[in-house]
Amino acid sequence: MKVDGGCHCGHLTYEAEIDESIVTVCHCTDCQNLAGTPFRVTAHSFEGSFTLLTGKPKEYVKTGGSGNPRIQAFCAECGSQIYSTSVGEGPKVYNLRVGTIRQRDSLVPTRQIWARSAHHWIDNLSSVPMYQEGPPQPR
Amino acid sequence: MKIDGACHCGDLTYEAELNLEQVLVCHCTDCQAMSATAFRVVARSKPDTLTLLTGNPSTYSKIGTSGAERVLSFCPRCGTNVFSTTAGDGPKVHSIRTGSIRQRAELVPVAQMWTRSGQPWVDSLSSIPKLEEAYGPPGGITTYDR
Ligand SMILES: [Zn+2]
Ligand SMILES: [Zn+2]
Ligand SMILES: [Zn+2]
Ligand SMILES: [Zn+2]
Repeated sequence: MKVDGGCHCGHLTYEAEIDESIVTVCHCTDCQNLAGTPFRVTAHSFEGSFTLLTGKPKEYVKTGGSGNPRIQAFCAECGSQIYSTSVGEGPKVYNLRVGTIRQRDSLVPTRQIWARSAHHWIDNLSSVPMYQEGPPQPR
Repeated sequence: MKIDGACHCGDLTYEAELNLEQVLVCHCTDCQAMSATAFRVVARSKPDTLTLLTGNPSTYSKIGTSGAERVLSFCPRCGTNVFSTTAGDGPKVHSIRTGSIRQRAELVPVAQMWTRSGQPWVDSLSSIPKLEEAYGPPGGITTYDR
């Protein structure tokens, strides 16, 4: 599936071809911390299909659970995190953060990983009171 | 509740006193785009209780739906989103991104906002297959890394 996306301020834009049969919810503590939220959702691009159209992301390299260094890219202007990928040369798979994908409403996660660090309330979200918009307070 | 937190690289550290009645899930499209995930969870501080202990965050200003300016802070080195607050003078309530709070596992949301833009699958997360850790998926991606 062809997708496009960008950061909140519009500085970074990209397009890619993703495999929509694998969309991953990750509950790992690194995703929680970096995204600032309970879990991250990631769609995986086909090798060599990712193109950055505008802007230049800031890159942060962290060491994954596997011991491999991973590039985490974000917008230096607005802080939106857009992808992670491997370090080094050659065609790459990009793990796109779905919140930045314009077509995100049509992506449904197919698996959850690192469930052992998932928040205990996460399966019962429907029991938390819902408001279509507000409550009237800043977010 | 007294909490402390940090970004992933450790440059930014802070402490604050939380209002536990104000732990909120936000499904708005701005939170989706900036946290780059399905929704954000914020815990609101009691006024003027947030103290930045180390580091110097980058800030980004956006205009909320209310028309009010919000100042969002993140780490310039690792990109971790840490908190937002109002622009200008006056007592500051900080909306702290719970993923950066060390005690986050103890925080349970009391309400969800902007559910009209919520992702349709978030209520049925329990029906999506779970793995305690990670695995190498089929389909050509041989190693999955976060
Ligand atoms: Zn941006
Ligand atoms: Zn993760
Ligand atoms: Zn940092
Ligand atoms: Zn929001």
